[in-house]
Amino acid sequence: MAASDPNKLMAKADKLTKLSLTRWSADWKSATVLYEQAANAYRVAKDYEKAKEAFEKASKGQEMISSPWDAAKHMESAGALAKDLGKWNEVADFYRRASELYIVCGRSQPASDALARGARALEDAKPDEAIQLYTDACAILEEDGREQMAFDLYRAATSAYVKLEKYTDAAAFLLRLGVAADKCNATNSQCKAYLSAIIVYLYAHDFKQAEKCYNDCSQIDAFLRSDQSRCASKFLSAYTEGDIEEIKRLAQSSTISNLDHTIIKLARKLPTGDLSGLKTDDSKDQEEPLDENDLT
Amino acid sequence: MSVIDIRFRVDAVCKKYDKYDIEKQRELNAYVNDSFAQIFHAIENEINATIRKAELASTETNRASAVAMNAEVRRTKARLMDEVPKLKKLAQKKVKGISKEELEIRNDLVLALPERIQAIPDGTMNAAKETGGWAFSSSHKNIKFDSSDGNFDSDFFQQTEESSKFKQEYEIRKMKQEQGLDIISEGLDTLKNLAHDMNEELDRQVPLMDDIDTKVDRATADLKNTNVRLKETINRVRSSRNFCIDIILLCVILGIASYLYNALK
Repeated sequence: MAASDPNKLMAKADKLTKLSLTRWSADWKSATVLYEQAANAYRVAKDYEKAKEAFEKASKGQEMISSPWDAAKHMESAGALAKDLGKWNEVADFYRRASELYIVCGRSQPASDALARGARALEDAKPDEAIQLYTDACAILEEDGREQMAFDLYRAATSAYVKLEKYTDAAAFLLRLGVAADKCNATNSQCKAYLSAIIVYLYAHDFKQAEKCYNDCSQIDAFLRSDQSRCASKFLSAYTEGDIEEIKRLAQSSTISNLDHTIIKLARKLPTGDLSGLKTDDSKDQEEPLDENDLT
Repeated sequence: MSVIDIRFRVDAVCKKYDKYDIEKQRELNAYVNDSFAQIFHAIENEINATIRKAELASTETNRASAVAMNAEVRRTKARLMDEVPKLKKLAQKKVKGISKEELEIRNDLVLALPERIQAIPDGTMNAAKETGGWAFSSSHKNIKFDSSDGNFDSDFFQQTEESSKFKQEYEIRKMKQEQGLDIISEGLDTLKNLAHDMNEELDRQVPLMDDIDTKVDRATADLKNTNVRLKETINRVRSSRNFCIDIILLCVILGIASYLYNALK
């Protein structure tokens, strides 16, 4: 029983890492094993606070014996326990450190995954911090040329921005997703991202930005030829004409139904504001009436 | 002591005695009491940064990147425009050590700011010209088409009960057919989208599979090496064990032989 008592294990491990007259160098290898055993014992006993500390020390030990992969794993365990304890600042810190340790191993994918897990843990409690973690996770994959693996992260970050009602930021992030999709020839995702950005602008009742975004995106051949482009064009036409029924009909179309669920929710709520201001004057739009007798 | 250590030591010492550097302190304290100057300076820096970004976007060869950059520029422009009213208020406040002329200049600077912000190119004008905007989708309002909806004058065509029934049935069937085609179209749309998504997902999985493949190859090679070494070890162990058994048997045989020799003697 004494061997499985986590407090004794921790004390023993601490003794092994401290220097004294008889011990001139810390025995991290033995200490790390003891820290791991103590951490698991604490976790079984549901003493999460001490388990978190033990995992942190175990991670330090693994780092000292040049095993960053295991160190990162322990950091993630500590992060998960910090989440259970509701210590949100520590959650972000632990997952960031885990990510750094994975990068030391030269593994960008697990590093990004660690940040993504941290972001998911913080999404409800600290959405701003979660967005920052998502952004960093995307950046790690972009640097490694693995944009394709970051698509889900871009979508998650967009959802977080929409929850915070930061629609301009959400649209900008969707356009970043478009760039990533363009780099790895994922035309479908690219077109969806652009249509989503236009819908977000329309939901924010920023018709001018939506129009500009559409004109910008129309320079990309892949988008110009797509169903998404046609849908966006119809949306903008309906907005210009102030046709609420058409907008609602378009929001129910299959092109919209194939987008991300967050964007579908926004699209179904369109139009959000008053369309009378957007209606173009007939005097401006209308050209001179056709003369039936004039055949030139 | 290495060069790096010396540099770090020098930096630390410089930081420690920064407060005695008159020039640096003057720069830092330039905007301490004057919030207008502080904000205006920050906005000016941001405008310059945004202009640089816009220039980058215009020279960008990848169109998708250019789109994202332009969006960032527009976002910054919108944020800067929100800062202008705050500056207007601050420009009218009197600050110690500032003359009336300077206050007027400040007002002029604030009035010129929105124009400067709007003047930042965000790649929209040329885009609209190139693509012709999105107006191409709406048809000309004055063009009208003759639509024959089947209501002919009595002079030309007299409908019988049978023909009207036939026409009605035809219309109903046509409507049903159109509804069916709509459903099929929607289903095909969904299938097309699923196919695209599956294709992209497969593209994502291919590099992962390649990674796994190389790792499995490496593991197989390691396993083969280990097997060979294990075989050698086992052979070595077995041969030594056999040698021991041989010696023991030899001893036993010698013992029996000596016993028989003694017995027969």
